[in-house]
Amino acid sequence: MNLLMDSILVLLIIASFMLLSSSRLSTCIKIGALQGLMVGLLPIVPGGSALTYRVTAIAVVIAGMKGFVFPYLLSRTLRESNTFKETSPYVGYTASIFIGILSLVASFWLDSRLRLPVAAASRLVIPVAFSMMMTGLLMIMGRRTAVNQVIGYLVMENGIYTFGLAIVRDVPLLVEVGVLMDMFVAVFVMGIAIYRINREFDHIDSDQLNTLKG
Amino acid sequence: MAINTNLILPLLVALPVIFAGVCQLLSSAVVILRFCVAGVVLVAFLVCWAVAMVFHNGAIIADGKWLMLDSLSAYHAVVMIIVFVISALFAVGYFSDEIDKNEFTVKIARRYGSLWFGSMGAMMLVLVSNNLGTMWIGMEATTLMTAFLICVHRTAASLEAMWKYLMMCSVGVAAAFTGILLAAASTGSAGINSTDALLWTNMMASAKSLDPILIKAAFIFIVVGYGTKAGLAPMHSWLPDAHSQAPGPVSAIFSGFLLNAALYCILRFLPLVEAVTGNTGWGRGILVVFGLLSILVAAVFILGQRDVKRMLAYSSVEHIGLIALGVGLGGLGVFAALFHMLNHSICKSMSFCCAGRVGQVYGTHDMRKTTDILRTVPVWGAGLIAGILALIGVAPFAIFLSEFIMLKTAVDSAKYWTAGLLLAGVGVVFIGALRHAISMAWRPVEGNGMADVGAGKVSLSDVPLIVVPLSILLVLGLWMPQPLATFIIRAAAIIGGLS
Repeated sequence: MNLLMDSILVLLIIASFMLLSSSRLSTCIKIGALQGLMVGLLPIVPGGSALTYRVTAIAVVIAGMKGFVFPYLLSRTLRESNTFKETSPYVGYTASIFIGILSLVASFWLDSRLRLPVAAASRLVIPVAFSMMMTGLLMIMGRRTAVNQVIGYLVMENGIYTFGLAIVRDVPLLVEVGVLMDMFVAVFVMGIAIYRINREFDHIDSDQLNTLKG
Repeated sequence: MAINTNLILPLLVALPVIFAGVCQLLSSAVVILRFCVAGVVLVAFLVCWAVAMVFHNGAIIADGKWLMLDSLSAYHAVVMIIVFVISALFAVGYFSDEIDKNEFTVKIARRYGSLWFGSMGAMMLVLVSNNLGTMWIGMEATTLMTAFLICVHRTAASLEAMWKYLMMCSVGVAAAFTGILLAAASTGSAGINSTDALLWTNMMASAKSLDPILIKAAFIFIVVGYGTKAGLAPMHSWLPDAHSQAPGPVSAIFSGFLLNAALYCILRFLPLVEAVTGNTGWGRGILVVFGLLSILVAAVFILGQRDVKRMLAYSSVEHIGLIALGVGLGGLGVFAALFHMLNHSICKSMSFCCAGRVGQVYGTHDMRKTTDILRTVPVWGAGLIAGILALIGVAPFAIFLSEFIMLKTAVDSAKYWTAGLLLAGVGVVFIGALRHAISMAWRPVEGNGMADVGAGKVSLSDVPLIVVPLSILLVLGLWMPQPLATFIIRAAAIIGGLS
């Protein structure tokens, strides 16, 4: 049964690399959604801990949030703003991929050094989680557009969530729901923030156009 | 009493949240600002009641151990409520000009009031949580609540500051969550029921059987993560932007308590680490390093600063560093650090409010332009200058005393390098800030640029807002009431002060 788990984990890594290499923001949102969906469904992949109704319900809710709600909020923001492409990131795409590969190697090395107690079905979970955290950080620091930074934040959260799955057997329900609520509000607030930033800066732009006219 | 204890802690969180909702129903900006004052006074009464219960009967542990108020969190709650009272009282006058000019509309006021109370509720949740998970939820909620408070005045710069704050602190707090997960994993061998694993009291009780390596890793993540929010160098770069762009009463909350709330989360973790590592001072060492670094970085940036609110913001980095350093030194240093926290919060929230008012009159926060403030804006100018003097540690004020105890602790425990660096940092801040203060206070106004600065309206009702905090600092610098000393000693004992 580990085969299914391992394939999902490999897909997660591939999604990270696709995020690092694509410049179209709408594509990034879709890949991020797919990654979130897979991360959300990880706990109910057979072979892990015993399935209870609680675990299943939470997994479905989290997968729904990460896979549909967050991407919906983000693409709505994207429509309202007038940016569609990441044109000049701080860290270029080739360099990003290169750093991504290095961080993947580092993740495996770190995992072999730390020897963390693993509660999940596959040993691969921890390096994959580390790699997602680093990918997220790289996107936050290396991308210029706000939408991409939010996607980076979500990828980092995906990594942390996966890490939590791997090493903690059971997080209390209330905490889990609270964390989810916070994340939802975070994406929501970031969406509004992006909207306002766009409006403010567009406003400035149009002002400049007015002054140049005369 | 049993009913009370189960009720009072949830009420402390719920009351501000309810008030946040009420703000949406009020129909005038002035009413909302007055409601903030009334609301915070009501919460203050509740806090006093809870604190009195803690003081007389020991820690309150309620609601299935999920909520707890012990001396440490009670002390933080007192500081918090003082800061919010100062912020509420100043806000009434601060926004009144803007209300007249129709810049602070009802819509903005509603948002301001709701977020203001909302952040109070979130910080309260941080303080009363016994569960490290809910504590984290509260901390992340403070980030989200306060983000839009920064851009009450919607300018390009404030939006930029808000975005930087939102991203940096979200990432930082997310890193802290990794730390919490590691801490939860460390309980694996302790045999605690997994739903209770994150309860602080349970972890403390079974500290001996936690996995030390995982707890150490967790502490590093916690310090870096929450340290970002607390403004410890080198993770402080969001702080001067956010503090300088936010309106005065909001900067007061940011500097007066938001940073302390984040530091509180680190302090909660410290006894755990110390107990697990066998009181070798491993965790304290980390705090000393971050503390010293913050003091020195802040000192360098204060020297060349031109914006008065940015200078105050860097001074917050310095003081958070001092508190971290004091706790790191242990023993008497912990007492000094907690005392310093109270002094700093009172003084800094007042200074930020005064700086905001001065800035309103001059239309800029540039210290080269806001000169001769003692004559132009007598009340706020005097408050700002006195606040800066108190902050840099001029003798009769309480901050001097707490800094002095820290220095003494460092020397007594033969940590001469630490003492030397502390003295150097504080000395540079002293000279740098004093130079700025002198030029703001007495240098005559250049040219006739001041003609358009209308003399600030002086109203006698503003005077107590300055005089009361300053006299509290003055009295505390000369004489400490016995109950306060007992209170601080009890709080310090929790994080390894002298017991």
